[in-house]
Formats: sequence, structure tokens, C-alpha cells
Amino acid sequence: MYSKRVHAAWFGIHFFLVTAVCLAGVFWLIAQGSTILPAVCNEYAHKAQLGATWCLGKEAGASNPVRKGIATYLHAAGIQAGYSFFAPNVPSQHRLRLELLYEDGRVEYESPHVRGKTAALRLESLLTRLSEERYEPVREVLVKMLAFSVWREHPDVKKVRATFGAVNSPGIDEFERGKTETFQPMFTFDFSLRNDQ
Amino acid sequence: MESVVKLLGLQISVGLSSLRKFWQCFIGFLFPPETDTWLAVLRSGLGLQVILYALFLRSDWHYLFASSGKGLVGREVGEAITAFDSPLIPTFGRLVAFGRNINMSEEAVLTVAWVCLLSAGCLLLLGLLCRPAAIVAWFVHICAAESGGLLAYGADNFMTTALFYLILSPLPDHYSFDHWVTKTKPKNPLLLGFWRRVLQVHLCFVYFIGGVAKCLGAGWWDGSNLWRSLIRSPFNLVPPDFLVQFKYALPLLGISICLLEVSYPIFIWIKKTRLVWLVCILAMHAAIGLMMGLYLFALVMIVMNLAAFGVPISGRRAQATSATAEQ
Repeated sequence: MYSKRVHAAWFGIHFFLVTAVCLAGVFWLIAQGSTILPAVCNEYAHKAQLGATWCLGKEAGASNPVRKGIATYLHAAGIQAGYSFFAPNVPSQHRLRLELLYEDGRVEYESPHVRGKTAALRLESLLTRLSEERYEPVREVLVKMLAFSVWREHPDVKKVRATFGAVNSPGIDEFERGKTETFQPMFTFDFSLRNDQ
Repeated sequence: MESVVKLLGLQISVGLSSLRKFWQCFIGFLFPPETDTWLAVLRSGLGLQVILYALFLRSDWHYLFASSGKGLVGREVGEAITAFDSPLIPTFGRLVAFGRNINMSEEAVLTVAWVCLLSAGCLLLLGLLCRPAAIVAWFVHICAAESGGLLAYGADNFMTTALFYLILSPLPDHYSFDHWVTKTKPKNPLLLGFWRRVLQVHLCFVYFIGGVAKCLGAGWWDGSNLWRSLIRSPFNLVPPDFLVQFKYALPLLGISICLLEVSYPIFIWIKKTRLVWLVCILAMHAAIGLMMGLYLFALVMIVMNLAAFGVPISGRRAQATSATAEQ
């Protein structure tokens, strides 16, 4: 009976955390205003999201042991993120276009690439993250690293202009009318590569 | 006054009795007697999943998880974000630091990690050294998922969760090599039932939340989200010209997916509708895998669903085994 109680208690705590993570994710989507719900719901959703994240200890200080303990458990169990894949809407596709400027004036266009299809899905996942506001502080560093991964294959390049943007795919009716995808630049970074790099 | 006290006492005892009944019902729900067939499905399925994960990433393994200046983006940024959440989460950075102490290069550590992952997958598939293999697979996978956190996608979280549950489940099952070699005693059917319940309830959360989130997007009601997900690179395995032919079926399919997911926690428990819902969910994941190239995501979801609801629930036979085990 003691073992059953311990298991039942773990079950309760575990699924309480799963519920909090999932609700925080759904309320975040509503608070962003990206759902079909009326805008009046956004503020309430934001408050509810704060409530859910409070349950996960995220409102506590960064060094709080409860917060760290919960975070460690969530990562260990793989439940740190909710399950709203491709929801409420499929995110836009993003592309990083690298303009490689050579010393002799030549210009070539490249994109960061990987070998396997599975790794390509991961690269796509990274590009989607780069467009999100919460990754803004690390955006330039990541774009620089992606540019550097391509530069290593073209060591005689002098300068790299990295343009990150959204790829707007045509709707089904637009596609039937012959419309193709368009690239909408979001931000550009110029990297001058030193000889010692 | 005396009658008021008596009435109050009666009400408290009625309250306590219904609370006790609820607790017993809850315990009954949590601990149904089960055989270990579902665990064999989960173990071998995850073994296959881990093998495919390692093989699919073979050519990019070092490129994805190397440090800055050697790989795609370097693992340091992902690891820094993870470390901000908690410094206790395992990463490749820690393994590389440990390797340096014993004169192992970063490349060697990453290679050893990959070999360990592949070996753990093979052992799980065969059922040899089940629990150590599950722990190694979970550890190396979590290192990969956290070090490459910026590159992670849905399949990674599900793999971590499934391996986490596998570690905690009463291994080995009687289809494994371990059982054949060591002739272990039958595991407690109530504990087997408990861990299966955990998996079942987890899947109900996954689909319900996924379904609700999809229902909140206009694009799932008019089919445009399905169209967008199928034509965007790198998921565009089906030519758009072919998809256009099914233009009028897309809204119906989009709505069906929403309803299928939202109602999963209800109809998967009802005996009469379980098979229909399970087949539909499996078909949905198979279609995601084949039409969008999300093979690992599809496989882990199929394995989890089959283990949770695919293997028939065998209460009576398990109860008999339980009685034998207790004797």
C-alpha cells in the first residue's frame, strides 16, 4: 500500500507539471493574439499564463533551488515544452541567404546546409526559432555562426552579408493562378571576416 | 445541540467514506493488473527508434554537436540556454570536459557517445541489459537534445519522455533476452499496469492539448494549414500540383485532425471506439512520416500509441499471474 501511495503521489505531481506546461503553452498562444479567440481574451490569457508558469517556479529567482529542481525534472522527463505543434497555425518558413563577397568583386549566394534529411529538419527548426522575439538576444550570434559555417568552405571570401527573412508561400488558390513563393527580408547583418579567424 | 453534533459527525463520516471510495477508485484506475506485452512493444520500438535516430544523424553528428568554429552553430549557445534553466541537465559540453581530463579529444568523445547510443538502441531492440541500455540511451539522447536544443524539434521531447518512462518501468519483460538468460521472476502486474497507465494518460494530454491548440487556429478549419505544412520546405515531399487535386478534401482533413485529437482522451478509453481512434491516429502519424519526411516523429508516436493502447488490455490473465507471483 505504501508503494502504491508513493506511485500515486508521483503520478499526481508529474501530471500536475505536465498540465502546467501545456496550459502555459496554450495560454501563451492566446496571449500572442494568434488564435481565433477575440482580442479581449488576450489579457486574461496572459494572466493565466503567468499563473501556469508560477506553478513551474519560473517566477522565482534564477538561482532558486525549487525553480532549478523543477526545470531539471522537466528536462529529464522531456516535458519542458507543450504539445502545440503546427498550432494554432503553421509557422512561416524562414530562410537565411548569405551573400559571399570575394576580394576580386565576385558575389556568390549560399545558404547554411547539412548533409542528411533529419539534420535538415533541425536546421529548419533553428531558422524558425531565429524569427521569434524571445531569441532576439542571441540572433546575431547565431546568424554569425551560421555564416561562419559557410565561410569555412569558402576561405577566400572577404565579407558576408546575411539576410534573414520569411518565405511567403502562396495559398492554394494563388498557387493555381501561378503565384510562387516570395522572400520577405526581416533583417540583415554584415560580417567582415578577419584574417586571423 | 447533541443532535447537531451527531448530524455533523454523520456528514463528516459520509464525506470521509465518499473520499475513501474516490481514493479506492483512483488507486484501482492507477493500478490495473497487466501483462508485460506492452512493455515489450515499448522497449523494442524505442530500440528501433534509437537505432534510426543514431543512423539518420550519423553524417551530421559531429557537425551538429561540435563546439563553436567547428560545427554548424556550435553547441555552446544551446548549452548556455539549458544551463540557465538548470546546471544539472546533462550536455555534451560536460562529457567533452570530462573527456579532456582523460586525454580524449572532442571528436573522440562525440564518436564514443554516438557508438554508445547506437549500441544502446541495439541492446534495447534485443532486450539485452534492458535497464542499463535504457539509461545509456536516455542519457546520450538527452545530451544531444540539450546541446542541440536550438536544433531540436518535437520528436526529441517524445523520445526523452518515452525513454524516461522505459527506465522507470519494471524491466525486463518476458520477451527479452534478459528474461531468457537470467530467468527472472514475473514482474508485479500492478506495477506494469501503473506504468502503462502513465503512458496512456500522457498520450491523452498530448493529443488533447495539441487538438485544442489546433482548434484555435483558423487555418485548421479551412485546410490552409494542411496545405502550408505540406508545401513548405523541407516537408514538401508531395508535389503541390498533386495536392491541388485534393483541394476540397483539405478542409475536411484539417477538421478531422482537430476532432480526432481533441476527442482522443474520451474515445480511446471506450472499448467500442478504441480501435477506430487508434487506427486513425496511427494512420495520421504514418501519413505525417511518409508525406512530410518526419520519420522519427512518426515512429516514436506510433510506438507510444501501440504500447499504450495497441496491445489488448489483459486484466484477468494478468490477475492470475499476479496471484501466482504473490504465492
